[in-house]
Amino acid sequence: MTRNDEAAQAVRNFVRVANIVANLDTILIEAKNLSLTAKNARVVALRAGDSAFGFKPITNFIDEFSDLTIKITKQISQLSSQLFSIALAVVRCSDFQQHLNNCAKSSDNKAISHLQREVNLELMKTIKQLESVITYLESYFEDIQKQMRSAEYIAVTSRVEASNAGEFSESLQSVSDFITGAAKKIKSAINDNLKEINQLRGALR
Amino acid sequence: MKTSEIYNSATHVWLVLGRDSNKSNHIIDTNQYLIKSTDEAIILDPGGIELFSPMLASILKHVTLEQVTTLFASHQDPDIISSLGLWDKALPQATLHAPWLWEGFIRHFGMDNITYQPIKDEGGEIKIGKATLRFVPAHYLHSSGNFNVYDPKARILMSGDIGAALEKGEPPMFVEDFASHVKYMEYFHRRWMPSNRAKNDWISRVRELDIDIMAPQHGRIFKGEMVQEFLEWFSRLDVGCAYK
Repeated sequence: MTRNDEAAQAVRNFVRVANIVANLDTILIEAKNLSLTAKNARVVALRAGDSAFGFKPITNFIDEFSDLTIKITKQISQLSSQLFSIALAVVRCSDFQQHLNNCAKSSDNKAISHLQREVNLELMKTIKQLESVITYLESYFEDIQKQMRSAEYIAVTSRVEASNAGEFSESLQSVSDFITGAAKKIKSAINDNLKEINQLRGALR
Repeated sequence: MKTSEIYNSATHVWLVLGRDSNKSNHIIDTNQYLIKSTDEAIILDPGGIELFSPMLASILKHVTLEQVTTLFASHQDPDIISSLGLWDKALPQATLHAPWLWEGFIRHFGMDNITYQPIKDEGGEIKIGKATLRFVPAHYLHSSGNFNVYDPKARILMSGDIGAALEKGEPPMFVEDFASHVKYMEYFHRRWMPSNRAKNDWISRVRELDIDIMAPQHGRIFKGEMVQEFLEWFSRLDVGCAYK
């Protein structure tokens, strides 16, 4: 890979980080919607009384995993600003490295080779920082993925409970449908992000 | 990139760097200035990102990196200072003197290490080794926060965009015939400079200075009587032509 390619690669990596951060919004919005749905479902279940008895613990579960997902997503958001600044530092280092290499073509001044060594070290250090943040990020996404597996399971259970809720059956059925839809969207965003992380990791090797 | 010495004394040296033959035709040609005195050096209007590599290679022929303690940006334009993010890595200990007005804007070019020293609207003075340099206000010519650099000992005025000419190819470093040079300057000054009032104010201030060389950031340099010819021509020019 030429130095020009490396600089272009650094920019591509930066775009991957931007994609990951953009997907965080989808996750956060859906997790907040899930939390709202849990609150609505609790009200419906209360109104439905005994006929929706089995639905109450389900709303607690929805509340729990939506809160946890929101919490993790917020932690990821904090990490992502760090990720952005590190990715930007990689872009700047690569850019500086590329300019120094151009400069070295027309000058054999020792100061340039000294700067080249320094920027190479800085670049390696920054890439390591990026790798470390990516590892954290990956584990957070895997945590959310586990929550979404539970959400899918709860969606199935809630559908069974909803069918026993008489006149409230339709309302509770729509809650189950919503959980299924939100979990699907969150899982898809997580999968996209895990793919981006894999590509990012591959590019950094 | 060509380097020419425009002043040399026991205390300090002025070099102009420009006319880079490898430069893309799509970017405007610029003059960068290096002043070296004892163990210190300053780069005036270090230039755009595209010029960083040839600039670095050229200045290292004359000074060490450690000697370059100071940068100056006359205003915020990309051809003046968009290389800042790269200089920031090459010269982390340096200080950038630039208009206070543009600090928040210039920092967008990337500045983690270099210290920003804002220049007040009234101007100021710095010492580079044994050389004293004055920041002369040139606001609205063309930028709203804009300075020239005057060296009273060398009698050089680095005039930024004032006196700039857009001439294709690699023209000589100095204006040889003022009348034939006007065609390269006229549109630039009429279109880029917004205010006759600011222009006249600058002319009266500069007329009080003892100037042998007027060194713009684009095109040829004015020397001797060409400086007065420029001031005469500029005083007659109606600027701000895009305003209907």
